[in-house]
Amino acid sequence: MRKSGTGFKYALMSAGACLSLACFALSADAADGQQAVNAGAKVFNDTVTNICEKCHNSTDWAGSLAMDTLDLRSPGQDPDVWEKAVTKLSGRLMPPAGEKQPSQADVDALVGYLETSLDASAKDRGIGHVPLQRLSRTEFAASMKGLLGVDVDPKQVLPTEIEVDGFSNIAGALSTSPTFMEQYLSAVRRVAQRAVGEPVPKMASVFSGGGGGGGGQAGPGSPTQLTHKDGYPLGTRGGVSFTHVFPADGEYRFNFLDGDSIDAGLYPRGMETAATLVILVDGKEVARREIGGPDDLALADRDGPKGRTAIVAKVSGIPVQVTAGSHTVTATFIERSWAQSNDPTGGGLVSGMPIIRDGIQVVGPYTPRGLSLSASRAKIFICEPKQEAEERPCAEKIARHLATQAFRRPVTDADLKWLMKFYESGRAEAGGFDSGVTELITAVLSSPDFLYRAISSPAPGESRPLDDLELASRLSFFLWNQGPDAELLALANKKQLSEPAVLDAQVARMLKDPRAQSLVSDFAFSWLNFGTLDQIDPLDRTFNAGMRANFETEARLFLSSVLLANRSVTDLLTADYTFVNDSLARQYGIPGVLGPQFRKVTLKDENRWGLLGKGALQLRTSYADRTSPVLRGEYVLDRLIGTPPSPPPPGVVTDLSVHEGQPPSTVRQRLEIHRTNPTCRACHGVMDPLGIAMENFDLTGRWRTVDSVSKLPIDPVATLSSGIVLRSPSDLRRYLTRRPDQFPTTVTKRLMMYALNRELEYYDMPQMRKIVRDAAASNYTFASLITGIVNSDAFRRQGPDVKSKKAPDARALKTASLDARDTGATPLRQEQ
Amino acid sequence: MAIFLTKKHLSRRTFLRGSGVALALPFLDAMVPAATALGQTAAAPKTRAGFFYLPHGAIMNNTVFGKEVDAWSSTGKGADFKLGKTLASLEPYKKYVTTFDNIENLAAGGSVHTLNPATWLSCVHPDTAAKGASMSITLDQVIAQHLGQKTALPSLEVCSETTIQVAACGGAGCYYASTTSYAGPNSPLPMEYNPRKVFIQLMGEGDTKAEREALLRKNASILDMITDRAKVLHNELGPGDQARLSDYLDTVREIERRVTMAGTRDLKGVNVPDAPVGELEDFDKQVRLMFDLIALSFQADLTRIASYVMVAEGTNRTYNFVGVPDSFHPVSHHSNDKERMRRLMVIERYHMERFADFLKKLAGTNEGDGSILDHSLFLFGSNMSNSNQHDNYPLPEILVGGANGAHVGGKNLVLPARTPLANLHLTILSKLGIKQEKFGNSTGLLTEL
Repeated sequence: MRKSGTGFKYALMSAGACLSLACFALSADAADGQQAVNAGAKVFNDTVTNICEKCHNSTDWAGSLAMDTLDLRSPGQDPDVWEKAVTKLSGRLMPPAGEKQPSQADVDALVGYLETSLDASAKDRGIGHVPLQRLSRTEFAASMKGLLGVDVDPKQVLPTEIEVDGFSNIAGALSTSPTFMEQYLSAVRRVAQRAVGEPVPKMASVFSGGGGGGGGQAGPGSPTQLTHKDGYPLGTRGGVSFTHVFPADGEYRFNFLDGDSIDAGLYPRGMETAATLVILVDGKEVARREIGGPDDLALADRDGPKGRTAIVAKVSGIPVQVTAGSHTVTATFIERSWAQSNDPTGGGLVSGMPIIRDGIQVVGPYTPRGLSLSASRAKIFICEPKQEAEERPCAEKIARHLATQAFRRPVTDADLKWLMKFYESGRAEAGGFDSGVTELITAVLSSPDFLYRAISSPAPGESRPLDDLELASRLSFFLWNQGPDAELLALANKKQLSEPAVLDAQVARMLKDPRAQSLVSDFAFSWLNFGTLDQIDPLDRTFNAGMRANFETEARLFLSSVLLANRSVTDLLTADYTFVNDSLARQYGIPGVLGPQFRKVTLKDENRWGLLGKGALQLRTSYADRTSPVLRGEYVLDRLIGTPPSPPPPGVVTDLSVHEGQPPSTVRQRLEIHRTNPTCRACHGVMDPLGIAMENFDLTGRWRTVDSVSKLPIDPVATLSSGIVLRSPSDLRRYLTRRPDQFPTTVTKRLMMYALNRELEYYDMPQMRKIVRDAAASNYTFASLITGIVNSDAFRRQGPDVKSKKAPDARALKTASLDARDTGATPLRQEQ
Repeated sequence: MAIFLTKKHLSRRTFLRGSGVALALPFLDAMVPAATALGQTAAAPKTRAGFFYLPHGAIMNNTVFGKEVDAWSSTGKGADFKLGKTLASLEPYKKYVTTFDNIENLAAGGSVHTLNPATWLSCVHPDTAAKGASMSITLDQVIAQHLGQKTALPSLEVCSETTIQVAACGGAGCYYASTTSYAGPNSPLPMEYNPRKVFIQLMGEGDTKAEREALLRKNASILDMITDRAKVLHNELGPGDQARLSDYLDTVREIERRVTMAGTRDLKGVNVPDAPVGELEDFDKQVRLMFDLIALSFQADLTRIASYVMVAEGTNRTYNFVGVPDSFHPVSHHSNDKERMRRLMVIERYHMERFADFLKKLAGTNEGDGSILDHSLFLFGSNMSNSNQHDNYPLPEILVGGANGAHVGGKNLVLPARTPLANLHLTILSKLGIKQEKFGNSTGLLTEL
């Protein structure tokens, strides 16, 4: 029944649209379908004439749009206008709150009718163009991991990328500046060096794991040092752990830099009780030292700085033999009963047992002994020359192997010629063959063949299908954030990848691969803005970096459990489980969770279900000192409903705070002005109620019933402009899922943008809706959306290279300002 | 992953910890000798220009309380003027300072936050319907084209934290909120907030002279290769993509120029300290460090033009270290509440004080016939006026420095109502000896200056 024409499509949408209403088109019968279309056309005509044209007419030209100049009989003639109308209507941003509102049933019918008409007339409307694209820094880091097995923190090596809707992989925004080039060339050189190791290693001292700028350990010196840390060997207490790249095989020494770092500082309380420090490399104990106890305490107390230096000396310069490559270094204590501590009070912070308060310095290599096989070297050295005559042929092999993957295409003899020049110049250095390969890798990664990817343009006004290699790259960057692997390239070279069965099989394979985690860490975290939680530093003494890390871990595990385990994307809103450890469980008020490791729990409180109950979301949409229903409402509207609100008009007074002499009030009470001032109300009337429904969550995700500042009870009851009343996060969740295709549509829009590396245009919308409709049969699983995108023309074809700024259809300019984004003011997150 | 960036060589450089605790500021002072060989051979004056951007305006005379609360504007006309409270820390350098009444920037109009950073130095309203960045070159980059070519690094663009902020930068794109510097209409320049990366950008890489030279040689051949490869790729592309690739090639050529210049960089007189480890968690230290890095780059003549976004537009940064627990952006919506306004002024004063520290350093560094401050011209200001209304008139701007005798401060200029900011920019260009008919939406020079 789903394939029987436009009438049915509409019938279905209406069915979905008005589940709770008396629906007029539930039966799948052609006559009914036509009837539905006619009914929809009538709603459309009436609504536009009686409501929209009140402002959008050729006298007022509100938003530079006059609907009385358009032919209402065939919306397909003005797809640019009506696609925007669909977006505005879906989020109910139009008509503005405060104006006469059509019923929800009418809006749903209207949207259904418009979508059906637009889809029916969508043939040959145009295919978008993706310009020449530079690797983003996130893609660079993923590629380094994939090609060479080197971990790179993109933020530490390359400049900030411009983001579009949170995504940093939009081709048009990835420009290249001299700063980028300088940092890029230097990053490439270091990566190459780390991958190969240093044949002639330089002595180096590197400090890691420290609190600031260190290895990202949310922990040295914090209360997490008092108990076992997740992932550390059982029977240990606290500690620091970091990854260190050892440039060569040899002896390395581990140092604590001063007394403070091991709790033997000016106040050497940690020396009161004896403890055993253990150092582990890749989980294997390599050294053990006793520290603390009466002797050390006496030393610190009696001899002052000298004594403290002596204590540090005991646990410093610890010699360890390590092989070249990346290894995990851990320093921790053997756990002992607290009964041995003479100070069980003091909140545990003054424990009497030493804790690690800072990072560790690794110095070396002393007596380097060459380079043994590291994970990186295993990837690079597909051959090992035994004698000099074998070196060059081996280097050529390596060059061909590496460049094929890096350039995402077959490597020619001409390529090999210019690449080998770099090998030769490195070979002449003291490091010999290894240095030659280091230079070779540097050249491969520096070249524009690696840094840029292009999809060839068709003749003006036409579109062309991507060839197999282009498809392999596009697919691979979409699902893995990096270039294709050998299997994909082999299929592409045989021109088999574009065969439907082969492509589907590859998509399935790629989604099972660990590299698909980028769909969570990059796509989902960018879409939901979970990658920037560190920008909010709550003024809450119970909150620490550990809790922020918990939020991130929970979000990552939860998103993976839905997206990568191939559940319905709607589960992102409705799933009745989450992942917590003991401290996060306490934050959420979930009893009976012990220990620092994360585990899946079923949520009894339905307000905690799905994304709306996640601490990451609550924190991301708050200020340092309070919640913000506006930020939350805007977040819901933009990221979950897919209708970004317009920015506030200039010159508007944003006067919401408590004034001197006024009684304290809740944030919610202060928001009342948004309802009384018509200018504010137009958007805030839509936004604020969505956020108010979540007011029971404080800024760090705890459930509350009383405002902590005003001591007044939280009032989460909000009325949407449609008249629907929300009383809780659960009500909001039900509202967001009332149309089964609404949330999958939002996900698909964002996912398509991420996949296509460009912003979506009106002419993409019919394809987007087809993907959603087709996915309905598989209950909107993430994989079904991905398969839909991969098989869409938008993904499989390249449109004409339009050098001018005009949209493919010049008519789009006429009504450009209908959408706020076109007025230049991108959606502005107004205060409160 | 800090490991990736930590420096090598135990012998010469002992480790500096990133937590900020061990970082005795201003640590960079150590590396700048009182008078370097560079400093004394000032045959031709080396003019420096700096642009210091503070988001969210200032408490001026256009709140509901009018002049009563104005902490920015000077009182009195001409030379008898008195600096506003926010500017109090500039008192010792008053003779270098010109303050202004009645400056406006229409190019930022109506954008609330998103266009403020980029249009501050462009005074051109961007083409926001375009896909991608589309504005014009900014003032600092025009100057860099003229005065920046004598140093390996023509200009430095830095900030104290990431400029990608939800409040200013969400939605359609961050083209105009993320930077104050455009090298051309489609070339926004990233603002670096990692002090370590800034340091390496300034000093170059390599621990020894031999190492540095080897690296330069290697980079030169890599750049040759890139140019060759780009030419090959060029032929396979459509016209639009060819244009994008030429932008890339321009960048490569600029790097080539820098590599050549870097060979002549003379750090003999400079005691190179340890590189900072990364972004500091302590924001106060981070701000001071960034000012120190700019001062260092001027003192050692590593670059002559700097643009510094002191804190990001739309930031949620709190200022507990000066007693303001509120996030800067939300509190900037002060609602005409006097306590909130007071807190806002504390933040504004804090940044001004750090700027004053910076001036002190430059005033204390002699080169040739005067101090670096005598040879500099700095613009400090915002592109917003009253943050409660997001308006752009009057703008808080001050001009500081001797500009080799071209700028005499010690005055407050009451300009005609709604004088375009671009007129000030055009005048700055003229003071720096750069002849240009028009800049952005300028209508003429500020002859009073």
